[in-house]
Amino acid sequence: MASLQDLIVKITKANIWSEPLSLKRGEHLSEAGKVDQKVYWIKEGCLQFNLLADGEEQSIRFAYPGNMVSVLDSYISGTASKYSLQALRKSEVQFCTKQVFEAYLKSENLQEVWNQSLYQLILEMMEREQDLLLNSPADRLNRVLKRSPRLFQEVPHKYIASYLRMSPETLSRLLNS
Amino acid sequence: MKIEQSKLVAELRELSLKHLELVQGLMSLNHDQLVQRPHENAWNALECIEHLNRYGDFYLPECESRLLTAKIKAQNPIFRSSWLGEYFAQSMWPKEGFKPIKTFAVMNPSQQDLNLSTLEKFESQLKAWLGFLDRSQDYDWRKIKTGISISSLIKLRLGDTLRVVLYHHERHLRQAYRAARLA
Repeated sequence: MASLQDLIVKITKANIWSEPLSLKRGEHLSEAGKVDQKVYWIKEGCLQFNLLADGEEQSIRFAYPGNMVSVLDSYISGTASKYSLQALRKSEVQFCTKQVFEAYLKSENLQEVWNQSLYQLILEMMEREQDLLLNSPADRLNRVLKRSPRLFQEVPHKYIASYLRMSPETLSRLLNS
Repeated sequence: MKIEQSKLVAELRELSLKHLELVQGLMSLNHDQLVQRPHENAWNALECIEHLNRYGDFYLPECESRLLTAKIKAQNPIFRSSWLGEYFAQSMWPKEGFKPIKTFAVMNPSQQDLNLSTLEKFESQLKAWLGFLDRSQDYDWRKIKTGISISSLIKLRLGDTLRVVLYHHERHLRQAYRAARLA
């Protein structure tokens, strides 16, 4: 069976992608309250998924170059998303609609590999669920440091603090101790 | 699709000539026939044609302007579809038991006040497409790319765009004939 890496190589070579779309820092690729059933392929930059909680934008997940992401609640259900997807710095993405993407997977017999990537995503989300149950900010940080060193290279600390549900000051203190 | 470009040109020309006869057939009907509906929510014949006119209003100038800036005369006699182009073209051609595609609001002519001039406009668009096929046939239909109506960021090879647009005509002319109880 082809690996996820093979899938990505194959899909990125396929002629299903839009022209590159450039985003400025802070610009939204997808806004909460709207239906978005596209698959995005991140070429450059860094993006974050936000959820509005208690009047504040909470960082949920990040997307890096090479990742393929979608606003999954809307992608799956076809209804308006609760999430927004925002560029954290100048970014470049290409997209493909759900309809085209799924027809392509089917025609190339890649659905099984795609399922594997969704399983992987579920495991990652379960890890994240466990993070959020830990009371100690230091424990939350240590789990994420171990799991995703890339986060600390790609993402400004204030967003990491939001992701870890702590203040930027707490994060800074923990990282310096 | 992989085909000699000259064969694709001939195929699309033949299709458009057939469409020209079909729209002229509709022009000989009376107004009542043209506005009858198969059921309450279905388009009548004039609405089907108006829908095509709106796409023509986008694709004719889009293709013309791409041709205008094209420098490449065809080097390769073979036209090959991209995966996406093939997908769009196949999904446009009306097949047995095909599903209706939901249209975009701006392309939905439902309940508009339409008349014979709708058909005349489509007739002149078809003639413009036939002229376009003639003028573009020596250029590389693979290398020239056009935007599509739903997103300027999605580009198709000219040969695929032409297939999509002209197959779309086939789809809705058949629908118009069913609505007018001629098919």
